[in-house]
Amino acid sequence: MVGETLRNYLMIAWLLPLAGFVVEIFFGFYSKNPRHSKAAAWCAVGCIGAGFLCSCAALVTWGNANDWCALEHHDSHGEHADAGHETAGHEHGEHAAGDHHVAEPAHNAAAAGEDHGHEHAVAAASGDAADHDDHASGSQQTTYSGVLYTLGKFGSLELSLDYYIDSLTLVMFTMVTLIATCIHLFAMGYMSEELTDEYVDHQAHTSDGKHVHRPGRFYRFFAFLSLFCFAMLGLVLAGNIFQVFIFWELVGICSFLLIGFYTERKSASNAANKAFIMNRVGDFGFLIGLMVLWTFFGTFRFGDTTNAEGVVAEQGLFSMVHRDEATGNFLTEPITGDVLITDNHGHALQQDGQNRSIPYYLLVVAGLGVFAGCVGKSAQFPLQTWLPDAMEGPTPVSALVHSATMVAAGVYLTGRFFPMFVQEVLLTIAYIGCITLFVAATIAVVATDIKKVLAYSTISQLGYMMLGLGVFGWGAGLFHLITHAFFKSLMFLCSGSVIHGCHHEQEMPKMGGLLKKMPITAITMLVGVCAIAGFPMLFGLHFSGFHSKDAIVASALAFMKANPSHFLLFFIPLLTAGITAFYMFRLWFYTFWGTPRDHHVHEHAHESPWIMTVPLLILAPLAWLCAYGGESGPLYLMLTGDAPSHLANGVAAATEGGLVMPGHEAVHAVHIQAGLLALAAAFSGALIAYILYGTNLVNVEQMKNQLSGIHGFLANKWHFDDLYDALFMKPAHKVAAFCAWFDKTVFDSILHGSAKLVVLVSQWDRIFDEKVVDGFVNLLGTSTQSVGRSFKVVQTGRLRQYVMFIVLGVVALFAVVFTTFPG
Amino acid sequence: MFSELINNLIKETTGNGLNFFSAELWLSGTIVAMLLFRLFSLDRLVPTAFVGMIGAGLAVWYSFGQFQAIEADQSIVFFGGMLRQDLFSIYFRIFLSLFLILTIALTVLTGIPDNEDAPDFYSLLFGATIGMMLMASANNLLILFLGVEMASVPSYVMVGFLKGRKSSSEASLKYVVYGAGAAGVMLYGISLVAGVLGTGDMSLLADHLKVVSSGAAGLADPEVRTVALGVMLVMVGLAFKLSLVPFHFWCPDAFEGASAEVAGFLSVASKAGAFGLLVRFCIGLSGVPETAALMTAFGVALGAVAIVTVTFGNLAAYTQTNLKRLFAYSTIAHAGYMLMAVSAMLVMINSDQAAALSKEINYSIGGLLYYLAVYLFMNLGAFAVIALVRNYTFDEDISSFKGLMTQSPALAIGMAICIFSLIGMPPFGGFFAKLMIFASVYKAAGLHWFMYIVLAAGGLNTVFSLFYYVRILKAMFLEERPAEARKVSVPAVEGSYVLVLAAMVFLMGVLPGLANGLSSIANSAGSAVVSGK
Repeated sequence: MVGETLRNYLMIAWLLPLAGFVVEIFFGFYSKNPRHSKAAAWCAVGCIGAGFLCSCAALVTWGNANDWCALEHHDSHGEHADAGHETAGHEHGEHAAGDHHVAEPAHNAAAAGEDHGHEHAVAAASGDAADHDDHASGSQQTTYSGVLYTLGKFGSLELSLDYYIDSLTLVMFTMVTLIATCIHLFAMGYMSEELTDEYVDHQAHTSDGKHVHRPGRFYRFFAFLSLFCFAMLGLVLAGNIFQVFIFWELVGICSFLLIGFYTERKSASNAANKAFIMNRVGDFGFLIGLMVLWTFFGTFRFGDTTNAEGVVAEQGLFSMVHRDEATGNFLTEPITGDVLITDNHGHALQQDGQNRSIPYYLLVVAGLGVFAGCVGKSAQFPLQTWLPDAMEGPTPVSALVHSATMVAAGVYLTGRFFPMFVQEVLLTIAYIGCITLFVAATIAVVATDIKKVLAYSTISQLGYMMLGLGVFGWGAGLFHLITHAFFKSLMFLCSGSVIHGCHHEQEMPKMGGLLKKMPITAITMLVGVCAIAGFPMLFGLHFSGFHSKDAIVASALAFMKANPSHFLLFFIPLLTAGITAFYMFRLWFYTFWGTPRDHHVHEHAHESPWIMTVPLLILAPLAWLCAYGGESGPLYLMLTGDAPSHLANGVAAATEGGLVMPGHEAVHAVHIQAGLLALAAAFSGALIAYILYGTNLVNVEQMKNQLSGIHGFLANKWHFDDLYDALFMKPAHKVAAFCAWFDKTVFDSILHGSAKLVVLVSQWDRIFDEKVVDGFVNLLGTSTQSVGRSFKVVQTGRLRQYVMFIVLGVVALFAVVFTTFPG
Repeated sequence: MFSELINNLIKETTGNGLNFFSAELWLSGTIVAMLLFRLFSLDRLVPTAFVGMIGAGLAVWYSFGQFQAIEADQSIVFFGGMLRQDLFSIYFRIFLSLFLILTIALTVLTGIPDNEDAPDFYSLLFGATIGMMLMASANNLLILFLGVEMASVPSYVMVGFLKGRKSSSEASLKYVVYGAGAAGVMLYGISLVAGVLGTGDMSLLADHLKVVSSGAAGLADPEVRTVALGVMLVMVGLAFKLSLVPFHFWCPDAFEGASAEVAGFLSVASKAGAFGLLVRFCIGLSGVPETAALMTAFGVALGAVAIVTVTFGNLAAYTQTNLKRLFAYSTIAHAGYMLMAVSAMLVMINSDQAAALSKEINYSIGGLLYYLAVYLFMNLGAFAVIALVRNYTFDEDISSFKGLMTQSPALAIGMAICIFSLIGMPPFGGFFAKLMIFASVYKAAGLHWFMYIVLAAGGLNTVFSLFYYVRILKAMFLEERPAEARKVSVPAVEGSYVLVLAAMVFLMGVLPGLANGLSSIANSAGSAVVSGK
């Protein structure tokens, strides 16, 4: 019952944006006044807003069904939870249950002023549930899966749309719909310039050097946004890996459409192509992973499907591999070392009298393949170069698609698929994340375009998440995913507000001193900056980034202590935490502090209208407080309610040279140490930023000149684009040029030669045709005509002759018969 | 003994014969009725055409009754062995009486004959039809002669029915004299065959020939030679009816002189009857191993005649400007196509694989019958258009068809469909009819090389025929109607008559149920006539 209710809520939330897309794209096009109407935007906001309400309802339903056992302190170090509970209850009196789960503050924010009754009802209900929590054991069902619709059946391969609902799904749904709602609202203001029949694009030029004039595309923008939301929610809801792939590609195409929204700009269409093609590289690996999985497991589903009696009808992927309780490794065939494919109770499945198994290296291939898809989508090294270019899209797109949701999908999938990853794959994930976070952070230090800084910081933060997952910090990585979504979308919206206010000026050196001009934007931005830098304590409440980054760094430290050879996995993130604080504060000081550097820009700067500032004001408290309580707080507990069970205790290295997995105890033990180190790094980074950009003590230009070598290296993005250019583009161009040359010289000459030959033949053929064929036909015609005419001569009409002909005919026939017939 | 014979005859006649002969009897009765109506001036009250229609309808009805009563391979002789009742003869009865109805309908529409002459005309028409039915069910050489003459004599009069016109009378005279000559030759041939073989029963001819020749029949044997001469002379008589080259001279003149309605009737009905007779005669001479070599040669000779006839008919049609004359030659050509089926049948039935080929043999006769059925509609349609247009333009020249499309699309389209079918274009019935015959010829070609030549000639002639048919299409659709030309304003009923015929031509091509049903009936009829042997 609960499963069906949840499914229905989430399906509504998932399908509403699709309906919205259909309405917007068609009715937007055919409506009377498509270029001036905001109807499409309201439709999109309505759909996603309703989706948010459905997600909240689903969250509450889920919580009530299992008596909020997810919020039980399944970690030993959650001693502050109750205290936090009390405090929160008092401090935010009107949000009675705000601390029970992440949905509540979100709910309050979105519902501000429009849905109080409902809110209180929900709050009361959840409050009751929490109060009368009988501390039921974890045996309650928290995961629901099933089939929505069967697409097709090909032999033993069944492709279907499934759902898989657990706490991660619900948190993701709520987060995505909430942020999307805010961004839709913001975009309504940001994109209002498109509400015209004659939009002048100042950054696109026609061949004669004039600006491009085109009709506004307001409704189209919102239609694409709705389609994107549909795809993203479908991805989160997906109950099998193939369905994930479908929606994976769908978000890819939406991203393509939105990056290339200003399609007349060469840079935008190039960026769209780049994003799409880079993602295809990753998806290639994804497909290989899918093939391996299907070949050996015979199914794409995550969860088990049950029949009407509740008996398991078909096993899902997650229940087909089992880990040894003691070592945490997959159960293997003793002789070959292949990983056994098991039933729900850990007994190997039989096929033709043999244990079904998958070679270990193929499980590695499958894991790396799926992770390759995540690398593409989450812009990890070495496929990170598309994300900065994707900033060519409108800023709301950057906020929604390229920071909060789509790029997080890679991290989400890594988390979702975590039970299938073996330790080699996890180590790869950790190192990829580590490299990514460092490279991106260093580039962000020298970037001057405000959106590019944020783009690189996004890549860097995604690297953190990957690192967290890779070092067994499943909860930490996903925790950071959620918190990052809030503060990064906030910062992008702030940057959008700045860009809007400065009339599409994105270069930070031309800004400065905007604090007084646009105070709301500046303050909310500061909240975001503090959050990402991981600053603690403002009025006794830690910033969300403080909790989540601490969790990751702690996981990394525990991992390093258990596996000392992988020390880099701790020190680089620690260093980068400082760099992060540095470049983020650099951004803030550059933009809002100091004296105006470009007076023209400064004079015309203005605060954005309310429809753009309200989303900022909604998101700012969330960015600050969403991680309230840290790893004992509701968000983390909720998120990790269905965490892979083998993580909690940790194991010693199962195989020689293998990885030791630190348990939660070990992580907790180093938590304070790690937190202090990270805090020190962050403060020092922020301090340096203040000294360099907040005061006039140091001449930054001079410093740049002195360090021109390293600055140039970083400004050129570690030469990745040049490297790819030399490695792939140039050879491709060479090959293409060779092909073109080959085509022109060889094929064309063959073609031309054969064309000439055909002409020659046809000329000859014409002569043949005219003289011989026509001649024959004419001859036939004239001869038959003349023969016919000669028949006419016989047909004299004289009766006497006719009778004579009878006689002659008989005699002639007689002669013929007697000469030819057999004797 | 004599009384016993009489008793048997009476018993047989009252038991079977009158029933089997009912269609002919109804037609005969209609003739009497029409003449009596005339005598008592009842024809002013009841149109003669109406009486004729009822008589023909009854004939169809009774023929259908016979069709349902008979079993597939049943073959019964009656009237003392003179006639034979099987599916084959019933097929022709239905065919001819249906055709009679359509012809009467056409004459009503075109107004030839007028009221005064109607009883005479329809009596002649019915009499000729009875003769043709007799031809199709003949089992004796006497009936062969009787049927041919009974069909011919009324035809002579009908050709000369346009009394006031000199050309009509001249055509009639030519037809009579020519027919008389041919009849004389045929009668001589019959007397030779019957005299040497000692029987007039056609189904016994082969057996008797075997006895006479004592061993494989060959022309070296003087008696066989005499029989061969006789058969050849009988064939001359049939060739006259079928207007095969070189006994076709009457045909263009007679058609040109006769009215288009009569020409249409003669071109279809008289051919049909004659083909029925030819098939029976040929099968009577076949099927005995001793005569096989001789009859195979006979079949090949028929193939040669078919080639000459087809080619001549098509080529001679080229220069014609009078439409009736043109279609007279076209009729000659089509007789040639149909003769190919008989030729193929003879070659197959007299081969040593006859038993294995029985299906193909049936198929060849079936092809002939199917061709006749399609030919009925397409040729009658063409002649109907000629007659209808003539009523407005008083002209039967090809130039009178210029721009017909602008004047009467129904006639033009009906004519076009008939012509396409006559050419043998898919998807019209004519294509499938031709296909069936050519398929039989191809089968026979496996037995005798000459049939390949027949097949090639058939294919080539299909191309030849295109040219003169297309001239009519060109006149109707592409050429401007001359300003001084008379207007053709066809009433709806006349147009729909033509369109119904055209639709039948079309449906026999595209409606698989109709085409398959008809061809399977035709095949069983073919099987019946072979098994009657």
